[in-house]
Amino acid sequence: MSVFDSTSRSYVPAPTGHWLVAIAGYSVLIDKRAIQRNALLSVALLAISVLSLGMGTLSLAPYDVLLALLGKGDSMTQFVINELRLNRLLAGIFTGAAFSVAGCLMQTVARNRLATPGIIGIDNAAMAFAVASVVGVGVSFAPSAMALTGAATATALAFMIGGGSGTRGYRFIVAGLAIGSVSAAVSQLLLTQVHIDVANEAYPWTVGSLSGRPEEQIPVMGLITLIGVLSGLVLCYRFQLMAFSDSVITALGHTPNRLRFAAVVIAIVLTGFAVALAGPVGLVALVGPEMARAFARHKGLPLLSSAICGAIVMVLADLAGRTLFSPIEIPVGVITAIVGGPFLLWILIRKPKRSTL
Amino acid sequence: MSELSQAPLGTETITLKHADHTIIKDLSVTFPKGKVTAIVGPNGCGKSTLLNGLSRVHRPSSGHIILESKDIHTMPAKEVAKKLALLPQETSAPDGITVRELIRFGRHPHQSFLKQWGMDDRTAIEFALKAANLEDLGERLLDTLSGGQRQRAWIAMSVAQETPLLLLDEPTSALDLGHQIEVFELIRALSSQGKTIVMVVHDLAMAARYSDYLIAMKSGEIIAQGTPKEVIQPSILEELYGIQCDLLDDPSTGTPILINVRRSGAPVTAKTSAASKKAKCDMAFS
Repeated sequence: MSVFDSTSRSYVPAPTGHWLVAIAGYSVLIDKRAIQRNALLSVALLAISVLSLGMGTLSLAPYDVLLALLGKGDSMTQFVINELRLNRLLAGIFTGAAFSVAGCLMQTVARNRLATPGIIGIDNAAMAFAVASVVGVGVSFAPSAMALTGAATATALAFMIGGGSGTRGYRFIVAGLAIGSVSAAVSQLLLTQVHIDVANEAYPWTVGSLSGRPEEQIPVMGLITLIGVLSGLVLCYRFQLMAFSDSVITALGHTPNRLRFAAVVIAIVLTGFAVALAGPVGLVALVGPEMARAFARHKGLPLLSSAICGAIVMVLADLAGRTLFSPIEIPVGVITAIVGGPFLLWILIRKPKRSTL
Repeated sequence: MSELSQAPLGTETITLKHADHTIIKDLSVTFPKGKVTAIVGPNGCGKSTLLNGLSRVHRPSSGHIILESKDIHTMPAKEVAKKLALLPQETSAPDGITVRELIRFGRHPHQSFLKQWGMDDRTAIEFALKAANLEDLGERLLDTLSGGQRQRAWIAMSVAQETPLLLLDEPTSALDLGHQIEVFELIRALSSQGKTIVMVVHDLAMAARYSDYLIAMKSGEIIAQGTPKEVIQPSILEELYGIQCDLLDDPSTGTPILINVRRSGAPVTAKTSAASKKAKCDMAFS
């Protein structure tokens, strides 16, 4: 596929499997397969979303769901869809994408597939800080600001204990595991200090839930996810170099620690906000990127596919939690833990591949 | 030497440390332009550390690395990468990439997010494939290549980087003899196109045969430098490796060949004699 390149005034054939978009001296390569697979994933997400909106105590056909979304149909349906289920769905999509992209970035930084925010304790630490602000230990920050602080603290600790720049694989993960369990215990401890009703109310959130999340936080989460994914996509061009050794990254004119820092900051922000909204549903960060890799077969960093896959996993898990044992609702964090646990084992026992990531 | 005065790369009293351990202290060296320089020396002599210092992987605790009369650490990383390429010893690549895709990464210093592809990139990649004699292997997966082919693919990546300087850290360390020669011949070919090449080489005979200039290092210091003929002298080899030997000229290339190599102090024919056992004991207790 060739495109007219205005700088050299000649046709430049793009590398195999790519489209070249060249305008006014700028040129961007687009991976054909990635675009194709991401389009398919998006369609799947859309279908699952419509399905999810239609399922529940009030069961609705996809057609009625679409009518309600367009502001038509009877007012009861409109209320259920637009006021109740849509917010929950959006919260699921945004947090799922955020967790998954953060996971993909952390895996790349640590050069280890297990090094997702959930495993290395970022989720739990963010949760502990957020719980502290909710149960009121004299801290008056918003839960998301506190969660962000917690996420950053845990990451900094894991890097410090795990040895510098996070290339020491398992040491980093073990440090993170320890931070994660301490944080989870702190959350529980904080909950024992408050009235049982407050604790009960906060409980689903501390294991990860999309039920009754504050409405005003959802657009904020959407914006954060959008910014995180977009900056990830722009920097992806550099981030993909992290699959090489530090010497090669340096030789190609980049500073390894700067690349890692940028990736970790994006991951922390995404995880912090997502935890504040949905609780520590960290296993999405493990399942999402893995699904993306298997499906998109992307050679670089499958960031966009990870975002979509993460959203799919989150929405499906929430749907399962809502409907399987209806009217009893199972928090989404419990569902992902039940599915994610075996998945984690599968990653471990599967025939190891030669590469580190 | 006239080449040295216009050296594109050199060091000014650099000190390189691993944690608190000083590997190289106050070392000054320059590398002749357009030549192949081989750094040789025993294990742990600091030759790889020096190369890592030259390529910015290891930052010196004092002194300067001079690239085209500028301190390398004051230059933007990308600018340096347009002048200096490195082939490190351990190489890992992204999963499932082809030879051509690997070589494309060599274009990174010339690209950015909004300038990902142009005619110069395509030309450079085609040139690199041709230079490394990999034209038929461009679409092959890197994992499926032989050791020698893979090493040539990595060198092709640095060729695509279009730098006047190329550093190689033991480019043939894991290769058999045939593949070693394959790689060294590629290095010579690149040199004949005008590249300045600095490589760390373990094998003295190969270093002598394929380099124009030899630098012999021991305990972080340069103990001899010059043409292979000047450096490969029995006295220097004894100091470097603690060996004694005789030298012959290779009848076809004229480069020195080491024969009758033995540990210093051991007798000439020392395969099983008591003297050799004694020498072993002496070494063990020394």
